[in-house]
Amino acid sequence: MADQASFADAATPYMGQLLAYARLHYGQVVEPEDLVQETYLNAYRAYGSFEEGTNLRAWLFRILTNNYKNALRTKSRRPVKFEPTIDDDEIEDHYFMTHTTPEDVALDQMTHDMVRGAVQLLPDSFREAVLLKDVEDFSYGEISDILEVPLGTVMSRIHRGRKLLQKTLYEYALQEGLIATPA
Amino acid sequence: MAEMIDCGDALLQLSAFLDGELTDEKRAAIDDHLQRCAPCDGARHFEGELRVVIQDRCREEVPDDLRQRILAAIANEAK
Repeated sequence: MADQASFADAATPYMGQLLAYARLHYGQVVEPEDLVQETYLNAYRAYGSFEEGTNLRAWLFRILTNNYKNALRTKSRRPVKFEPTIDDDEIEDHYFMTHTTPEDVALDQMTHDMVRGAVQLLPDSFREAVLLKDVEDFSYGEISDILEVPLGTVMSRIHRGRKLLQKTLYEYALQEGLIATPA
Repeated sequence: MAEMIDCGDALLQLSAFLDGELTDEKRAAIDDHLQRCAPCDGARHFEGELRVVIQDRCREEVPDDLRQRILAAIANEAK
């Protein structure tokens, strides 16, 4: 049984990560700071049942995800249930590398707006998988636990999400002149 | 000795490789290929750098007032 007195020290280091995720993934629908605050309160109350030494970060993200689902219910909205019917079979893996070479891409000039814009364009289920993997660096297994979907589904969403994200980023990079010799 | 794989295989598994989700054996095989193949190694480095950029642009600092608000709310619960 974890000790509530130690909760703040243990849990506050993850606040930025939870906030970043909430803003990018939920920010169009709910106020991300409120969601994070609610998450910390719920987590504090439930901390007695948290098994110390286990994955606190994933546990916090689980609570955040559930709080969001509850927030949707109060707005009479439902979480998306179905996989996006996007025809992405034609989109190549490693889109940048398929269309250009590393030397020709000014990666460091990619702006916050470009990346965040591209992320927000992703369908919900792809976006959450890509954010949890590429921004929050959870393992596939942890993501499966947080989102409560099978491992295979996680891997598929990450794969398809990344393809779409790279394609969008490539197009933005092209528009902004960040690619030297486009294919 | 690590299994020998070709560029097609290496690129196909590159994402899982960078995710650290391959078995030791498969990881060793890809690593071996990357050491011997400059184009694939270039792709690996690009993908890795792209991830760093995505991470960096998506991260954010916690505003002081939010942090204080949350800590105060928790302290209030403790009473």
